[in-house]
Amino acid sequence: MVEMQPDDGKADNQYSDQLVTVGLSNEALCNTEADEYFMSIKVELNQIDRLVSDAVNNLVINFRYISKLTKSHHDMVLAIEKMAAPEGSKPIIELLEKQMIIADKIEQELEMAITSLQFGDLVTQLLAHTARQVETLNIELQRIDRQSNWKSEKTTLQATHEGISKAVNIANTKSKRKPVVQQGMQMGDIELF
Amino acid sequence: MAKTILAVDDSASIRQMVAFTLKGAGYEVIEAVDGQDALDKANAYKVNLVLTDINMPRMDGLKLLELLRKLSHYKAIPILMLTTESGDEMKAKGRAAGATGWLVKPFDPKRLLEVIGKVIG
Repeated sequence: MVEMQPDDGKADNQYSDQLVTVGLSNEALCNTEADEYFMSIKVELNQIDRLVSDAVNNLVINFRYISKLTKSHHDMVLAIEKMAAPEGSKPIIELLEKQMIIADKIEQELEMAITSLQFGDLVTQLLAHTARQVETLNIELQRIDRQSNWKSEKTTLQATHEGISKAVNIANTKSKRKPVVQQGMQMGDIELF
Repeated sequence: MAKTILAVDDSASIRQMVAFTLKGAGYEVIEAVDGQDALDKANAYKVNLVLTDINMPRMDGLKLLELLRKLSHYKAIPILMLTTESGDEMKAKGRAAGATGWLVKPFDPKRLLEVIGKVIG
């Protein structure tokens, strides 16, 4: 690194002024970059949330429609069975019984889908939690950046590392409890008091 | 006469799944989007059971539980918490505030109906 030496006091001041200006603009740039980086993470988290919500809404509409059709199918099979019995031929009765079994199985699958379709709520809560963590980390990093003298010549890698660790620790402490601990979509526990 | 259940959740999909399950079993369902909305509807309609989430905007489920228990009609009405929260500390808070039971999401429709049948009588 080339060290510039001023010729006189005036030049010294000019040089110092230049350094301060460069220092400030670098700092400002640094913070803006950090802000933009954290903002882009939040934008991506929002995008995931929108995609998941959109998919869940569509799935719920599909679910309701299939459920309605299944009920109609079930009722129709019952009506045909009534019309066919007792004179109905054996093959027709057997076919209707098979239809009833299929209708019951579809209903069972739909019940299971109710449990699975709740994933949207869990994902949304986790995304909101992660977005809060990212925001807290950004705020803490910026605060420590403002308070520290990282730009000074004495700045070491260790000091930088300590600053980041401090920010992460504070962000961790400030973060709210994780609202979702489920690792899968199995039914949750039930407890009556 | 069908019993009425107040289903409280800020997630539209959860409300729809709960309503679908309960209506299919013959219950009448009133939906609320958060604790404040639920409190307003609980005052307007005398429901037979409240099924509420915890983490919601404006007013959370624990605050709702606390306020409902202060209303004469809701002193003995079953109030079930349906939430992603499964920590002992939260459960203890719910229990202390007067919750009847704690159901961790995701719920299974058959088990939900069993529990409701048990507490609603």
